[in-house]
This record gives sequence, C-alpha cells and structure tokens, in this order.
Amino acid sequence: MYVVGFTLVIVGIYGSDFLASPLRRLSQPVTHAAATHAAATQAVAGAGLVIGVGVGLLLLAQALGPLALSPADASWLLLTPLARRQVLRRAALSVALLATVAGALLGVLGLAMAGPYLRLAGSGLPGSWLFLSAVAGAGCCLAAVAAEALAQPGDRPRAVIRAVCIAVAVIAMAGAVAGERWSAITRAVTDVFGGLSTPVFNTAALVALALAAVAWVLLWQRLASFPAGVLRSDSARSGRALLAAQYLNFSLLFWIAEDNHWRGRLLRSRPWPKLPPALALAWADWRRLGRRPGPLVILAGAAVIPALLGVAVTGRVHTVLIAAALIGGAFAAGTQGITATKRDQDDPALLRLLGVGPGQALVARAALPSLLSGCWLAIALAVLCAAGTLHGWVWPLLGLAAGPGLTAGILRMARTARINPADRGPDTPMGSTPPWLISRMLSVIVAVIGTVALVHALLKGEAHATTVIDQCVASVIVLWAYVMIARALSR
Amino acid sequence: MAYGDVVVLDDVDLTAAAGEIVALTGVNGVGKSTLLTCIVGFRRPAAGTVSVLGGPPRDDAAFWRSVAIVADQPTWYPGLTVRELLELVRMTHQPLRGWCLPADELIEIFGLTARADASPLSLSSGQRQRLSLAAVLARPSRLLLLDEPEQSLDAGFRLELATLLREQYAANGGTLVMATHDHDFAMTAGARIVPLAEGRIAEGLVAEEHEGITGPVL
Repeated sequence: MYVVGFTLVIVGIYGSDFLASPLRRLSQPVTHAAATHAAATQAVAGAGLVIGVGVGLLLLAQALGPLALSPADASWLLLTPLARRQVLRRAALSVALLATVAGALLGVLGLAMAGPYLRLAGSGLPGSWLFLSAVAGAGCCLAAVAAEALAQPGDRPRAVIRAVCIAVAVIAMAGAVAGERWSAITRAVTDVFGGLSTPVFNTAALVALALAAVAWVLLWQRLASFPAGVLRSDSARSGRALLAAQYLNFSLLFWIAEDNHWRGRLLRSRPWPKLPPALALAWADWRRLGRRPGPLVILAGAAVIPALLGVAVTGRVHTVLIAAALIGGAFAAGTQGITATKRDQDDPALLRLLGVGPGQALVARAALPSLLSGCWLAIALAVLCAAGTLHGWVWPLLGLAAGPGLTAGILRMARTARINPADRGPDTPMGSTPPWLISRMLSVIVAVIGTVALVHALLKGEAHATTVIDQCVASVIVLWAYVMIARALSR
Repeated sequence: MAYGDVVVLDDVDLTAAAGEIVALTGVNGVGKSTLLTCIVGFRRPAAGTVSVLGGPPRDDAAFWRSVAIVADQPTWYPGLTVRELLELVRMTHQPLRGWCLPADELIEIFGLTARADASPLSLSSGQRQRLSLAAVLARPSRLLLLDEPEQSLDAGFRLELATLLREQYAANGGTLVMATHDHDFAMTAGARIVPLAEGRIAEGLVAEEHEGITGPVL
C-alpha cells in the first residue's frame, strides 16, 4: 500500500506540474502575441491529443465491458432470481461516475489546449466557458459509454463502435502531427477555435447533455434484460484484466486480449514453409500477428504520441518525456509479440512438445518483439524528425537498432514467474516492497540498459552514425546476456 | 518429493521397459501428476534419482525430441488453426524418425475434421483434449507421459484411444506412463497398473480401495 500510495503521489506531483502549464493559460491576461505559429501548433496538437486520450479511454472501457461485475457477483448474483437491473445498478452508476469525471476533465483540458485562440475572439475567457466545457465533455463521455454498454451484447455493434473510435483517433492524431508542419492545417483549426462563442458552448453543452440523457434512459431500460451470458464472459475477462493491470502484468493483459480475439474464429489453414525448428517458432509468431493487424494499426498510429507530448501540452520540447514515451511505446509494441513466450513460461509442456530447447526457443521468440519495438521506434523517431523536434536521418536507424536491446526487458517481463501477491519483499523506508514490483522495475531497467545509446542521444538531442553502431553493440550484448542468464537460471 | 512441509511422494521405485504401458492410479492428491513431472524433470526430487532413457532428465532439444508429455489443463499458442498446430509440431521434429501419424490422419482419428480450421480456443474442452493427445502422436517419441488422458473424453473415444496407444504407439516401441482414474481405459490399453497410496507404490492392494477399480490391480 505504501509503495502504491508513494507512486500515486509522485505521479500526481509530476502530472499536475505537467498540466499546470496549459491550465495557467486560461487565467493569464489576453495577448494577441499568442497568435504565433508555435502557439497555433500547440493548440492543434493539444486538441488532437485530448481527442486521442478520450478515444483511448473509450476503447479501454469497451475492452473492460463497459458493464461488468466483480467475478464473485458474476458467478453468483446473475444466477439468482434478483432483478437484473438491481444487480447491475451499482456497476452502471460506477461507470457513469467515472465517465462524468473523465469527460469533465477532458473538456476542461481541451479548452485549456485551445485557450489562446478562444480568447482572441473576445476580451477574456468567461468563467462560464470552463463550466460549459466540463459539462459538454462529461455529456459526450457519458453518451459514448452508454452507447458502448448498449452495444455490449452484440459483436457487430461493438466492432462498429471500435472502428469509429479508431478512425476518430487516427484523424485527430494525424491532423495534430501534420499541423506541426503545415500551417494551413493549424490556421483552419485555430479559425474554428477563434469562432467559438458563448452560444456555441451553450449549444454544445445542451446537445451533449441531451445525448447523454437519451442514451442513459435507453440503457436503464435495457438493464432489466441485459443478457447474463455476455455479463459473465465480460466480467471474467475484465476481472482478470484488472488483476493483471494491478500487478503491472502487461504480457498477461495482451494474452487476455488475444484469447478474447481468437475465441470463436474460423481461420484458413496454410502450409508451413520448411524451416529449422527455432525459425519455425518465430514464423508461427509472425503468422499469428499477421492475422490480427488491428493492434498493429493502432500501434502505428500511437507512434505520433511522443511527437505530440510536451509540445502539445506545455509548448516546449521535453527530452525526458519524449524518451520515456518512446521507451514505453516501444515496450508496448514489443509486448504484442510475446504472448507465445508467456505461454511457453506458464505451460512448460507446450514448448517441449515442439522439441525445441528453451535457449533456442528464447532466441526465436526474441525475433518478433525486436522487430516490432524496433520498427515502432523507427516510425516514432521519423515522426519526431518530420515534426522538427529531432534533426538528421540517423534517428530512425537508431530506433531500429534499439529494438533487440529493448526486447531483453520485454522478454524478462513476459517470463516472470506467476505472482504470489502474498510474497513479502525487502523492507524499505516506504514499507515492504512486493517482489512483483521489484521484478517489473528490473525488467524496465534491463530495457533501458538495452537502449542506452538511444536514450543518451535523446537526452543530448543529437545522434550520429557512430551512435547507431553503439546502439547495435548495446542491443546485441544486452539481449545475448539476458538469454544466457535466463538459460542458466532455468537449468 | 515434497511441497513445503507436505511430503507427496516417498520411496517410489518404478521402472518401465521399452514398449510398456504403465498406468499410475490412486485417489486425488496422491502424487500421480507430481510423479510425471518428476520423470520429465519439471520438478526435482529431494532425494533419489530419476533416469530417463539412460540418464537424468535434461531440459534440452535432444531430450524433448525423445520425450513427450500432455499435462493437465494444456494451453495452446493463439492465432493458429488445429491443422497448423499439428503440422507445426511435425515440422519442428523434422526429420521424423520413429512412429508418428500425419496431421490429416490424426485429425480424422481424433474426430476434429469439422474443426480443423478453428482456433483451439474455439474448441470444446473434450475437443481440446483430443487435440492435445493428437499433438503428441504427431511427432515421434520414445517416452510418452499422459496426465489423465481420459478427462473430458466420451466413453467411446476413450476406448478407441486406448486401443490406438496399445496397438500402434506401444507396439512400435514407445513407452507410455500415464496417470489415470479410468480402469477400463488402462485395461484396454494393456497397461501395467501401479497404484499409489499415501505417496508410495501400494503393491498388492486390491482394486476396491482405488476409486472403483475392480479386480486385483497387480
């Protein structure tokens, strides 16, 4: 508890410091000096980022249900004669509360991002705009979550909502990044911001509230006959996912997502090419990923996030923030390729069935995450170069070279033994640090060591051809050392 | 062999010859599955030795090309079809030296023809068990270990499987050690029944003491 509390406090301090900059803009006196290209870029990128975050939260809500019960309630209460609406009321109200808070925050944040341009239209920022933005944001978020809950029992409506969310996110992020390069885009968007007025805010808030009211009335009626089968499966999935998230077990999260995706699907069997055993494993990983391109598209879209962070929110380039976003994003990209590694770890008989030695298998399993994280880094660094944050052709190559180094940390996290929450770790001034947290932190440290040349270059803001060579050497050494140590420990 | 302070297996002496089928029986928690995991080296006994194919169990490719195991609650790699998984198993064991069956034949024998293009996650629990058993017969092995192979299988197919194991796997020189609660299955497979009780091999025990097994077991 102490560790979690301490982490939340630290995140809160840094987060509030980070968000203080855009929020401060709302209280500063109006100056037309704000109408620079840099400020316009910032406003467009910030608005895009807020939309992206909102859509991301909606996708997350859909992945978790959004209507779900605790595993115990799903197992017992759903099968009793209790009225279904009564059983679901608490879950529905919790979802509504979360959606209201998140929507209101996003509304205010969106206003803060567009702040300088809103105020160009008038003499100052009316306080009512802040309130109306929060109401509009909350209303939109409530309506969207209710729509997701209404669509929850049907596969097709769920897929439609998911596709709309992804399309909106892609357009918002692409527009935000393109706005950093082409002033015509920023001009068009900031013209819209400049044209906003109190009646527009009133209308937006009223429409959002009306939509939310209609959606929640429909949902409330639907709760009485909400299908138990959907609730049971979604509750089981969200229960496992929340438990995995609680212990930062990212590879298990991707495992759950994959199981959910493949269940009930018919595929077309294809012959295997003739390959040596270890390469056949790598090929199987690649085939599996190729059959599920959705996450790859989302990952490719998410490569613009490092370019938007910092510039969008505070108007300055934050090298530490960019480095953290790059490592975190590449880690998430690589984790897409390690569900087979986690299965190898959790079911020792499965890998042995294939007659491949654990060492060989580990090397084979490293291929896909190396490629994914390396390509993701290359794209993200190319976007940063295109946006003008970084300079030089060498950055994307540096990203590619960093993939295998990062993979050592990804593999380590995936191969962590099952967590026993009751295990006590070493005592620290913050209390007993749980072993699972230490293990997760060690995996991140391994990943950072594996990308040391890239991180160093990012912090310095410059990279050369020799940096790429340094990174290649670091990647090979760290991945090789990890495989050797893992092999020795498993004997 | 112990889990913490709880001794699960003690003073177990078991030998299986080439081409022999051995069925470990006994009540739940007696140590059948633990014994199988000791044989393949997933767990190390606190005392004593385990010798498989002339040496201690090793965790390397050469060992696992000779030894196969179907554990309790098997899992599968996602995103591949039933047929692809069977063919992947065969491909990683190339060149195939020893008795095994091609994927098409296994799909037919194990009643998976209609589900050959399905993801294993879409299969029923019985079909998943059939797939697990089919997978270990898709590759050659000298020692096969099965943990409750009969679970989730219908009665008719259990007997077909037992016949297949006896007439094809064991007849071609393969050694099979299985943990089972199904005496008919074990008998149809022509297995030497080894009852476990309180962590030891209970030689000479009569069947009534072992989960409804009828007749003398040794």
